Amino acid sequence: MRKILLIGNPNVGKSTLFNSLTKSSEHTGNFHGVTVEEKHKVVKFKDEEYDFYDLPGMYSLNSFSFEEEVARDFALKSDADKIMLLDANSLRKNLYLCLQFLELNINFQILINNYDYFKKYKNNLDIEKMNRKLNINCEIINAKKIKIKDLDLKNNEKPMNNSYFQKISSNSSNYLSKYIKIIKNKYNLDEKTIIYALNGIFNNVNEEQKKFIQSLFPDVILDRYKYIDELLLGVVETKNNFVYGLNKADKIILKPLVTIVGFLLCFFASIYLIFFLMGPLFSEGLNYLIDFILITPVMNFLYSVTSNIWLIEFFSCGVFSSILTIMNFLPQVLLLFIFLTMLEDSGLISRMAYVFDDFLSIFGLNGKAIYITLLGLGCNTVSALATRNMDEKNLRIKTMLLNPYISCMARLPIYVVIASAFFGQYAYFVVTGLYLLGLVVALMLGFVLNKTILKSDSNSLLLEFAPLRPVDFKHVLIVGRDNAIDMIKRIFFIVLGVGVIVWILSHTSFNLTYTQSITDSILFFFADKISFLFTPIGLNSAGIVCALIVGVMAKELLVSTFSISNNVSTISALIASLSVATSVVHFNSATAISFLVFTLLYCPCSSNLAVIKKEIGTFWMWFAILSQFTNAYILSFLIYNSMIHNFFYAIIVLSIILLILFAVCYIIKRIRSKNILCIFCSKNCKGKK
Amino acid sequence: MSLSEVKLNVPTIIKEINILDMKIKIRLMELGLNIGTKIIVKNRSIMKRTMLIVFNSSCFVLKENLAKEIVVNYA
Repeated sequence: MRKILLIGNPNVGKSTLFNSLTKSSEHTGNFHGVTVEEKHKVVKFKDEEYDFYDLPGMYSLNSFSFEEEVARDFALKSDADKIMLLDANSLRKNLYLCLQFLELNINFQILINNYDYFKKYKNNLDIEKMNRKLNINCEIINAKKIKIKDLDLKNNEKPMNNSYFQKISSNSSNYLSKYIKIIKNKYNLDEKTIIYALNGIFNNVNEEQKKFIQSLFPDVILDRYKYIDELLLGVVETKNNFVYGLNKADKIILKPLVTIVGFLLCFFASIYLIFFLMGPLFSEGLNYLIDFILITPVMNFLYSVTSNIWLIEFFSCGVFSSILTIMNFLPQVLLLFIFLTMLEDSGLISRMAYVFDDFLSIFGLNGKAIYITLLGLGCNTVSALATRNMDEKNLRIKTMLLNPYISCMARLPIYVVIASAFFGQYAYFVVTGLYLLGLVVALMLGFVLNKTILKSDSNSLLLEFAPLRPVDFKHVLIVGRDNAIDMIKRIFFIVLGVGVIVWILSHTSFNLTYTQSITDSILFFFADKISFLFTPIGLNSAGIVCALIVGVMAKELLVSTFSISNNVSTISALIASLSVATSVVHFNSATAISFLVFTLLYCPCSSNLAVIKKEIGTFWMWFAILSQFTNAYILSFLIYNSMIHNFFYAIIVLSIILLILFAVCYIIKRIRSKNILCIFCSKNCKGKK
Repeated sequence: MSLSEVKLNVPTIIKEINILDMKIKIRLMELGLNIGTKIIVKNRSIMKRTMLIVFNSSCFVLKENLAKEIVVNYA
């Protein structure tokens, strides 16, 4: 099997090329740093297997961000064949990376993408001359349309014969030779180590040597560009005013008022259209379809073959209610993903990143956080991974910690159900209010973190503008289809799986027999024991506590757990049951708001926690859990008590509780810092034993 | 004159890059920003913390703090 790596600058179309060659549908977008980890797929062509790898983009081997480091290390450690994808519109910049690979004597084939756009502005590229000058086969392609049969895969097998770089060690006119000589005269380093170090890869180099070599970087870069300019002389002819990435429309788009107001209007209109106008229409159709092709036939069959109440209840309320309650929101989720994909494809995100950067820098974030926020509206786990394109460590940690405050798709069903049940015509305002509350809390926390433990350098934003492009509706539909499949998979593997377990635990008594009354069940017993913790925020019902615990696994489970607890199998029945005092799970308007706020903030889901742990460590994972739970509890407490008493009462009680907690912590700290003999071991163990 | 002071849409030439943070300086140079490079400021953000610059036929978002450290002359 032949391994082939796709490498190149960010946003040149590597993922698009990967999708075309492997017939995949990996996430692509018109923004810098969409791919943050390597992806691969094996395809068979002419009796041979090819394992294509799509790597994150990098401007240089001297990595600037985590995702560039991932790509660089992968490319250098792998002995696979390499395809370097260049953008015809920014060849000068793209060739810099090519040159670095050539310096390391790494073989690759060059493909040039986006030639149509380049030609549209009457620019010219002499590809044959470029082939001759570089002595590497360069081909113009369209990454969207190329097929594996169009690719000259034999090309990589030819030994590289770039005479310029073969002379690297022979005292020739090669621009690196003089630097190699300088370093060799000063330190006893071998040539390979020096060449790697001049590309920012410091193996077997001490700190002093590293500093000296780094001091040569500006001159080396200048020489590399001199060589590129020689190379491009007579190869590329561009119109004087050609600027890739900037369009005429930007004169209007880049006016802050236009972008900010336009974005907010678009966002709120989309929520209204998706969740309150178009979504419910599609949901009704989908419900009818599922009922017609799945539920009615299965239930009719069950009624005809058995009268076992356990089995009938298990299927109607355990299995089907888990599926139906979430399936109901499939159209809404799809529509929102389509909206986000259109935004991403159009190139508007880099404009938003620029316009919002000012505002976000007040809170210690930068413009790139806009992209994370938009991804977070879909899935917080995906957006947590996307923080890899942040250039600074503290900025990345901060953005990852704030990301779960953005309401993801999984939280939407619970918002819509509870808002519809208790706030009727104001449901839309409650849902949008929750989105805004999440953003406000995230920004406030960002501000506090930036002033305390996660100070970051606000100068680090360096972002390339993506060109505005017409939305590719085929791509949008493919993304929609993939997200639908992904959601159906989640419903069947997570929601249904956990839903069945919840149903069994909520219908099994301690003597392991079936019970119709959930209050006699094992689950209810344990949930009831800890429900007192939630009394101050009005959520002291065992059914609600069960849902909150299960919801840590995946937020979609909140709605399905409610429907199981209330023994209902449709959304309309669930909405009706939530305001009935005899239901296991029931609310009034104060507890409903308190629950919605708590759900918005209380904890990242399990997959998001796993990503946080993997990417930034266990400490920050626990920090995320504790800080979110505390914020959720405090805000829910304030809102609930303001509604049932008044705001000042809520503030006073909360202040007293917090003061007591701080006092206890302070006393413990004082005791530990003094030489007091331990009452248990009678030694100066400072309480450690 | 620093890059942060120049007028919009007027081409300038870089004379000096005095950015102290070597990591950012090197990255800017790798992107093609160097002494002698033609650079145009296309836009400034509302709070004047960020700017949009054009060099090497591409468009980049740059912080004003960094632009202050780049010395230019009108072309």
